[in-house]
Amino acid sequence: MQRELAWRIFAGEYTDATLEHSSGEERAPNYVITPLGAKVNRLFLVGVITDVEDVGGNGGDGQPMWRVRLTDPTGTFQVYAGQYQPEAAAMLSQVKPPAFAAVMGKARTYSPEDGVIYTSVRPEMVKLVDASLRDYWILETAQEMRKRLEALKEAEAMNPATVDGLVALGYRQGLSEGIVLALQHYGKVDLDRYQSMLHDALRYLLPEFQDGVSAPAAAEKKKKPDTEEERLVLEIVETLDRDGKGASWDEIVDAAGKKGLSKEQLEEITNRLLDDGSLYEPILGKIRRI
Amino acid sequence: MDAAKRSIVRKYGGNPALLSIGTTKTVKELSAGEPSINLLAKVISLNSRELEQDGKTKEIYYGILGDDTGTVPFTAWEVRGLNIQVGDVIRLQNAYTKEFRGEVQVNFGNRATVTVEGGTLLEVASPQEAPLTRRNLDELQEGMRNVRITARVLDIERREVEVRGEPKVVFSGTLADATGKVQFSAWHDFGLEPGEVIEVEGGYVSAWRGLPQLTFDERSRLERGKETALPPLEELDRARRVWIEELVQKGGGVDVQVRGIVVEVREGSGLIHRCPECRRVVQKGACRIHGEVKGETDLRTKAVIDDGSGALTAIFNRELTETLLGKSMDEAIAEAKEAMDSEVIRDALSDLLVARPVQAQGNVTSDDYGLMMIARSVTVLEVDVQAEARALLEELGD
Ligand SMILES: [Zn+2]
Repeated sequence: MQRELAWRIFAGEYTDATLEHSSGEERAPNYVITPLGAKVNRLFLVGVITDVEDVGGNGGDGQPMWRVRLTDPTGTFQVYAGQYQPEAAAMLSQVKPPAFAAVMGKARTYSPEDGVIYTSVRPEMVKLVDASLRDYWILETAQEMRKRLEALKEAEAMNPATVDGLVALGYRQGLSEGIVLALQHYGKVDLDRYQSMLHDALRYLLPEFQDGVSAPAAAEKKKKPDTEEERLVLEIVETLDRDGKGASWDEIVDAAGKKGLSKEQLEEITNRLLDDGSLYEPILGKIRRI
Repeated sequence: MDAAKRSIVRKYGGNPALLSIGTTKTVKELSAGEPSINLLAKVISLNSRELEQDGKTKEIYYGILGDDTGTVPFTAWEVRGLNIQVGDVIRLQNAYTKEFRGEVQVNFGNRATVTVEGGTLLEVASPQEAPLTRRNLDELQEGMRNVRITARVLDIERREVEVRGEPKVVFSGTLADATGKVQFSAWHDFGLEPGEVIEVEGGYVSAWRGLPQLTFDERSRLERGKETALPPLEELDRARRVWIEELVQKGGGVDVQVRGIVVEVREGSGLIHRCPECRRVVQKGACRIHGEVKGETDLRTKAVIDDGSGALTAIFNRELTETLLGKSMDEAIAEAKEAMDSEVIRDALSDLLVARPVQAQGNVTSDDYGLMMIARSVTVLEVDVQAEARALLEELGD
């Protein structure tokens, strides 16, 4: 059996993914399919750990579950390690954020309700590293992302795109399968969004583009955040978080609805606040202010 | 059965009384996973290879068998007393089949019996009739026949071997063109010299676990090619960087270079102990074959290198591992003694290598567990990230 490769993916692409896939065969591995067609079972990421928290105990077994936010220039990965990842959990329990870390892990998804999917990472290995390795990872991840963008452009021109057709063009099997699945699920992908994500990540490495732009700022979307609405959401979350364990998503949706925010608007704003670190999820389905 | 045949059978370790077990099949009828099959087939190609199994050197034969229904790759795991050569029609009994990279492969070891059917004629499905096709070296794949290549001889070695009691000479080494390298065996003295450009017509390709090998003999046409047809030797000798996905597709590669991140330093890295008898790795003081032994210390690294397109396990031997660690094996032993923990060296290797970009070079083969590189060199890379990022932005039109 060929070992599953470790995909290099920016958080911005990985957190956009809303498709989980399995061939359906017994014990077949699960994959997260990103909008650019990465078919991810395992991934390797390097970034800054900004927050580590034990969110265990909620399952009732009293075992710790470490929830880690790891940011790169494009967004934030959610990393969860519990009793079945003893080495990673032991390592993460010692980390003092902020810290550069490399993580190899398995792609996981969580769906609190129909149509909503969050991606996360279950670590197999965690290692503290330095900025030079983080920079190298950004470079390599940019190179891989560019390959996916090119493959996706070719696939869109094929009409209909087929796995065999893409393989014939020289793309590897896994990526070709991922792209065909991505096109079926996501429809027409906003290539501009990912082009600029790629450019921003590369510029992040270069001093000539730095003028005052810090990592979280580079992660901001092109659209200017609507501070009034963000303030409103933060307020709602704070009010509903009665026991300090987080506000439940359903209650937030209700409260925001009464204030005139649609669920789509709320989701967009919440994602932005999760990305910039104003909010986090102590457990999936609950949201807290930092 | 005549006396001569029985003697061959005995020599190869089989029991003449058991010659009738198993099902007789044609090549076309073979499927993977059959525990006992019989086959009457012609030896179309034959190569030998020394491989290290659990630290012990062992010789095996591999090549291609054919009958009038098709051809199939084979591996002979026991070569003692196995006197076969290209063109022989052999009766193979109690062999087994396996799947290797999606294809059926015939295997036989010391349970099998092999008899050469002197005087038997066997037509092989479309033998040598494959049209003569020009190929780049990176296109060569197991089972190709009648290929035409232009290549430069990188190195060549003369070996004396015994085939059916008669001494024979085989010239083996490495060929290269601008696309890659292959190993070769020439069963005829063409007077080849390192550095020469040659054109070969009529060779055939076999492979050992994904390592392609071109074989030719006096029936092939060999001419000297134009010196200017290919880049100079030094340039061709330099290993090409390949993506691991290419190696996954081909199943291996001769003297290739990969660049990727070490994502894991596997168990069995660092200080290990080998059986003094057979060089297998000793587990908990015991050799799998020789029981309790006083193991001899060795040092090695099994690193998983992942380049974002695929992953392989690279083996760094004692010398390479010493260079990476910046200390000798004796110093490593002293350190482990001090810490009273032999795993400290593996931990040190993890600290040193995991998450770091490395460049490694060597032959890559594949088996059921994926790709494996026996590295002949490895370096931890210092990459000029800014320069590469600028170049990439420029390519993207920024
Ligand atoms: Zn032994």
